Amino acid sequence: MHERSLVHSLLTQVKQLSNQHDAETVDSVTVEIGPLSGVEAELVREAFDELAAEHFTNCPLLHIDLVPLQIRCRSCGRESSVSELSLKCPECASSRVHIVRGDEFRLIDVAMQVPVTTDGE
Amino acid sequence: MIVTATTSSRTVHVDRDVLSEKKRRAAELRDELTQRGTLVVNLVSSPGAGKTSLLEATARHWTGQRSMAVLVGDLATERDAERLRPLVPVEQLTTGGACHLELSLVETGLARLPAENFEFLFIENIGNLVCPASHDLAEHLRVALLSTTEGDDKPGKYPKMFRTSDAIVISKTDLLPYVPFSVDAAFDDAHNIQPQLKCLSVASTTNEGIEEWCEYLEQSRRELLSHAMQASES
Repeated sequence: MHERSLVHSLLTQVKQLSNQHDAETVDSVTVEIGPLSGVEAELVREAFDELAAEHFTNCPLLHIDLVPLQIRCRSCGRESSVSELSLKCPECASSRVHIVRGDEFRLIDVAMQVPVTTDGE
Repeated sequence: MIVTATTSSRTVHVDRDVLSEKKRRAAELRDELTQRGTLVVNLVSSPGAGKTSLLEATARHWTGQRSMAVLVGDLATERDAERLRPLVPVEQLTTGGACHLELSLVETGLARLPAENFEFLFIENIGNLVCPASHDLAEHLRVALLSTTEGDDKPGKYPKMFRTSDAIVISKTDLLPYVPFSVDAAFDDAHNIQPQLKCLSVASTTNEGIEEWCEYLEQSRRELLSHAMQASES
């Protein structure tokens, strides 16, 4: 179970961003999990709920987008969605494929409340 | 006078791999070790597949010819390090419960090894075919060891590990007469996931296949250094 260590890295990055923007609170964090990321969404959520309390007074919401596995064939150039057990082009059966999407655990965006400064009278 | 009136919602778009910073540091360390002439091998397998036995056989094969060092990871004890210590410089990395090694542990272990340029550095990962697959330890080669007693259907069951590896080594081939394991079936299953995977087999206790394994590593190191030289000239 390495999700805790990955979520720890994620929260460190979110905290850095919130500090950079002088955020008062972080409302939500959106991540993307692909089928080949080696990360289990349910375990990420559990670890996030537990560890976020150590980083933030008001725990942000976690949005998880589960993205499909997308490959590009280096032989025929087509892009297709495939199963994770066989990384072959469904069009031409070539194994020379490049993974376009679906092998990472990505931080997509962070929604936060930032101070608005105005010139007073 | 500037006063903070209120707050407003702001969404900061990031879109980057959560591990991007660790991957960047791993790439830097890999480059540094390449400059020092060291090929780094991350050896992964389930517990008891024979990682330490393979390293013992490798060290014996290279005695007096090639220089190597080992960083060995375990949850507890120094047992693997004690086995290797009579043969090569070795540092034990004890994770205290973590299921995989991370780059920071490798950096600590490297700092404790003798300050010489080894030709080969092996990182014996924690016995686990799942979590170590997601962590770049600055290796040039990731080698997945699969023993004949585990079953030839494992590559398909642990696809990420085999997809991210450069080679699969079937170990304990001396037990093939006694177990229902097909080397060809294991290689086919692995190739279905990663067609470029190099396939080797060894029996560390009888030294069968050890020469080919060592030659594969020596060839990989020659290619690495030759690419590095071409890159620095261009």
